[in-house]
Amino acid sequence: MSYVLTCPNCGPREVTDFGFGGEVNPRPTGSPSLRELGEYNYFRRNVAGVQREWWSHRSGCGEWFIAERDTRTNEVIFTALPADAEAAGDATTAGAASHGGDGSGVSGGHGA
Amino acid sequence: MTRLPEQRGERIERDREVSFTFDGKEVTGLEGDTIGSALFAGGQRTFSRSFKYHRRRGLLCCAGQCPNCLVAVDGAPGVRACTEPVREGMKVEHMNAEPRLDFDVMRATDLVGGPFTPPGFYYKTFIRPRRFWPLYEKVLRHAAGLGKLKKSQPEREWRTEYRRRHADVLVIGGGAAGLSAAAAAAELGADVVLADEGPEPGGRLLAEGGVGYARELVERARSAGVEVLANAPALGTFDGLVPVWQGDTLHQIRARRQVFATGAIEQPLLFPGNDLPGVMLSGGARRLIGMYAVQPGTRAVVATVDDRGLHAALALLDAGVEVACVADLRAEPNGGPAQALQRMGVELLRGATVLEARGRTQVDGVVLGRPGASSDERVLACDLLVVSGGSPPATSLVAQAGGKTSYDEERGYFVLDDVPEDTFTAGQLTGYGELEAAELSGAVAGADAAHALGFGDEGSRSLADRDREKLERPRAWPPKVAVPPPVTSEDRGGKCFACLCEDVTAKDIHLSVEEGYDSIELSKRYTTTTMGPCQGRMCQLPAVRLMAKETGTSLAEVGTTTARPPWHAVPMGALAGRPFEPAKRSSIHARHRELGGNIMWAGDWRRAYDYGDPKAEAMAVHRAAGLIDVSTLGKVIVRGPDAGEFLDRLYPNRFSYLKPGRIRYGVITSDSGRVMDDGTICRLDDDSFYVTTTSSGAGAVYDWFSWWLADWQLDVHLTDVTQGLSAVNLAGPRAREIMGTVTELDCSAEAFTYLDGKQALVAGVPSLILRIGFVGEVGYEIHCPAAQGEHLWDALMEAGKLHGVRAFGLEPQRLLRLQKMHILVGQDTDSESNPFGAAMPWIVKLDKEQDWIGKWALEHYAEQPSETQLVGFTLSNGHVPTEGAVVMPENGSPMGQVTSARYSQKLGRVIGMAWVPAALAKDGARITISDENERVEGEVQTKPFYDPDGEILRS
Amino acid sequence: MSALAFLSPGPDAPARSPMAPGAADAGATFEERDGWSVASSFTDRDTERALCESSVGFADLSHLGKIEIQGDVSAITGHNLELGRALRAQGAWWCPYSAQRAVVLCPPGDTVALRDHLTASAADASGLASVIDVTTSQGAMTILGPLARETFARFTAIDLRPQVTPPPAFRPGSVARTGGAILCEAPDRYLMLFGAALGQYVWTVVADAAGHLGGGPVGVDSLPPIDAPTPEDTDGTPGEVAHEFGVERRIDAPPGDGATLERPDA
Repeated sequence: MSYVLTCPNCGPREVTDFGFGGEVNPRPTGSPSLRELGEYNYFRRNVAGVQREWWSHRSGCGEWFIAERDTRTNEVIFTALPADAEAAGDATTAGAASHGGDGSGVSGGHGA
Repeated sequence: MTRLPEQRGERIERDREVSFTFDGKEVTGLEGDTIGSALFAGGQRTFSRSFKYHRRRGLLCCAGQCPNCLVAVDGAPGVRACTEPVREGMKVEHMNAEPRLDFDVMRATDLVGGPFTPPGFYYKTFIRPRRFWPLYEKVLRHAAGLGKLKKSQPEREWRTEYRRRHADVLVIGGGAAGLSAAAAAAELGADVVLADEGPEPGGRLLAEGGVGYARELVERARSAGVEVLANAPALGTFDGLVPVWQGDTLHQIRARRQVFATGAIEQPLLFPGNDLPGVMLSGGARRLIGMYAVQPGTRAVVATVDDRGLHAALALLDAGVEVACVADLRAEPNGGPAQALQRMGVELLRGATVLEARGRTQVDGVVLGRPGASSDERVLACDLLVVSGGSPPATSLVAQAGGKTSYDEERGYFVLDDVPEDTFTAGQLTGYGELEAAELSGAVAGADAAHALGFGDEGSRSLADRDREKLERPRAWPPKVAVPPPVTSEDRGGKCFACLCEDVTAKDIHLSVEEGYDSIELSKRYTTTTMGPCQGRMCQLPAVRLMAKETGTSLAEVGTTTARPPWHAVPMGALAGRPFEPAKRSSIHARHRELGGNIMWAGDWRRAYDYGDPKAEAMAVHRAAGLIDVSTLGKVIVRGPDAGEFLDRLYPNRFSYLKPGRIRYGVITSDSGRVMDDGTICRLDDDSFYVTTTSSGAGAVYDWFSWWLADWQLDVHLTDVTQGLSAVNLAGPRAREIMGTVTELDCSAEAFTYLDGKQALVAGVPSLILRIGFVGEVGYEIHCPAAQGEHLWDALMEAGKLHGVRAFGLEPQRLLRLQKMHILVGQDTDSESNPFGAAMPWIVKLDKEQDWIGKWALEHYAEQPSETQLVGFTLSNGHVPTEGAVVMPENGSPMGQVTSARYSQKLGRVIGMAWVPAALAKDGARITISDENERVEGEVQTKPFYDPDGEILRS
Repeated sequence: MSALAFLSPGPDAPARSPMAPGAADAGATFEERDGWSVASSFTDRDTERALCESSVGFADLSHLGKIEIQGDVSAITGHNLELGRALRAQGAWWCPYSAQRAVVLCPPGDTVALRDHLTASAADASGLASVIDVTTSQGAMTILGPLARETFARFTAIDLRPQVTPPPAFRPGSVARTGGAILCEAPDRYLMLFGAALGQYVWTVVADAAGHLGGGPVGVDSLPPIDAPTPEDTDGTPGEVAHEFGVERRIDAPPGDGATLERPDA
């Protein structure tokens, strides 16, 4: 895996420059049922195809942005800052730009 | 050393001798020679011993494709003699033969023969009795593998340069097509790199008398600005990144477009004895003659399936080699070369091929005949058998880049069908075998690649289009090819090798099919065909041909295995990277070393574990004062009108009400309610908070904060100042007095109370001082600019000297915090722990008005108490349980584990923390801890072991 | 005392670079300048200049002031910053990380005044604006010479070819397997930023890479002054900045690029 992602601020960089935040996973609004909460926390679509996901340019500007990527080919369809992401890309993958509530997407590689 | 008269375009320089040794014996070659050509000129015919049977192997391809000439050079094993240039004084040694190359005792495996060494032999034979495995392993480890790596580091010191190269166009392959492509792209203004795996670029031109022309093409490319990498195989393609290995440099090339001009690979034929020294591919024989003026033999027989063998026969005649007979499998080879051979009186057998090669140490005779027919066999004496089994395109690299191949019925091999849009191909890879067509196809591919990037203009585009038309009209396929049927040992005696690297015979493939491994991918894994140093160059097609024969299917149905890197054998050392680890160091690091600190990794930091005596260091904190470097703490400035609101949304407790100058402890939970990190938060003014995190969690917490901020878009700015600030913790009964000597700030108990945060100059350094008590004694955590951290440390150590201050490390700090029952996130908690279970229900403010991360999960956990609770325990018998020891109830199954345990000198007993069943989470409850079969009784304690009510801390 | 005063080194104690141990091992002579202990030379100026002209030299510039601006960057700074390009004005580099964040790199003697000036501008700007001194958060190193790009090729994947990264391009990204940024100050001259705690490690990596290309450390006194990009250059013409090693040209006045910021008194 050594494809190139384009940071909306810094431009194209090797994927190893970036932190992966997992697929976009809208946080429930209001008061979710236990089932809804479980789905939000622990279930992902894990598609073989195009998905919307969070990335941060950890080694560069440090900002989080949205990318649409084909998980089969690693082809990156677009990248955009969250504010611009709603308008971009395929409507079926768009949604509230929210993320994994269990924090598993944030992996600094840290143990104790 | 004998050489032919000067050959047109030879590479050697006859007046420049180069001396080296082979197995200790002096060998003299010429400048321009490879190890292989110099040794062959000196009479060497056996170059290596085979992997399993230790059979003699000699030069076959002379192009770095096959495994037959692997030698060790200056202690580095696995070097291909046929492409490695000679260097004065180099030490060349054989591999895989004991005691000598010409007398190898392991040859016994060949003589006792096949029945003992079928595929899967090890697994079938050495599984029982099991207790003998260590013995088996010792023997097998010795027998397996090629060559020996030096074991101790100083003996094998080599350095690999890792060089990143960006380019517009990368051309892989430096034959006529590749060179033309590179020049064409560069002439249109593209930044071009060309990588070629041969000793010098030129590809087939080198072997066929075209060295001069090849050099002209190289010169044209170079003067157009192409960076030409010679002796530089591309190892694979990884999403557009191509590693190219060139001696002591690994180029990592990222080009916007790639042109593949990887050429074709001449294939061996399948017949018993096909691995004997003296059996040579036509290209190999021609390279020896044309490049090095070395006669490959004296009396030759040629067996071919296309014109390539006929051209080779003519070249042999030119070099003074007697050609006894040419067997051409095609029924009617009547073209120019066939006629030329006949004019010269060479006997040409049509529809015939080689059925067997004979000889002990090398070929001394061959049997020619019609496949499948036993009549008309001819036995001929010779010392050279030149074979040519067809030249399929080298599709592996382009296939890794997404190219597709399919079987070509007419030519009997797999050809390139389709390539991804951004990928360009040229030369023999696409079927343009003749020089002119290859060059033209290269020029088109190079121009196309450059045009795709916006270089060039209307004129260059229409020129490329005209060239394309020229190319498409007489589609210059190579002349007709016959598809050779495998002749195996079922037909005749002797071993017929499908895979030279791994010594896999036709019979082994037969067996693997019989045992059910009847697909090419399964057979590959079972027999290891295509998995050796040649990576399938010499064996992929023969294996497919054999599989088709064995399974009675067509080659198209058998198909090929998935193309995978590495395309070329490469030393692990070239891939290992430079030996530098990104280590973070505090600005006070030098002092810790001077004080004799035991430095260890803590996350990505280098930290002092202790200074030699952790117990005494801990006691110093209790008795006088201790100083610890806590610069590794994560530090984030959170600013803005919404800063309080932001923190309220991220933490289960409240920060918007915190008064400026005050500090509050916080635990970060995820939406699943688990504890992610903890730290202290000091409000600096109305709009600014100073957040500290654990050392190892710093990066993740900053990511977490900025992630939610990106989503919520609150009026908040974050700045990570972790590496910008040093922090030290001065703690102990004398800490206040010491502070009094280094700052004008009133540090009295009344003026500077517990959980106050104040700014002041300390030893002249602007500092933020936090009155917190992680280690249980009165303490001041002082944060200051990292550039002045060392100065601050020195000043505090100096000022504290009179008071008995002592530096303390991470280990004593862990003991001190355990006495206070302060948790370490990740040590005492895991991915299942929520604040209720971790004995911090007080931190969760379920009555907070707004939503916050973790709220819903924690509401649920509040109603449904956890089955286990984190508690403290004490042991009276002095045994310190291992962290991870199991907590047992009176009876039944394990219900928890010890997370921390230490002997406390201050308290005179063993203390620890453990997860225990909720019913036992009360003071005085008895628990049993099972630690490596030893059971110890402990008593639960829920309040801190030391200063349970925090009176010392607050004093 | 302002709420964030503890982020800036004070005048009463010398400030040290995180790379000081590496420089000291390599034989640096340190001099105190503007409160910082600076590696001023290693051998002598002629030798060091020759190194920078023939192969590659690297110098510790961690003492450069670094001020982070967040919010409406152009309103606070008075400069129109374009992503991917730094701006040279008032003897400082103005480096944009995003539309909302920039870092100014300035001579150490200017840091306090510039910080205070920008803080005052931020107070006047509409919307949330903040100015933070991050001088000690990042180490800085200048790498220069004909082999500077070859040196970088050993430890960063950032594309520094002049057609992609001409002066004054600014490229945040991974350097030596850690977060950082590279600013092309002039042809064959780059300023690299990285986390301060990694200073010793970065020094080792660069010394290894440059050393094998025939380069070595140089003192700050051997660095030629940075020629200001001409007005045409700031319009985006790549690779046109005049630059000659060994030729000193002092820039006395800020270039007339419409900058409104007054030069703070040093």
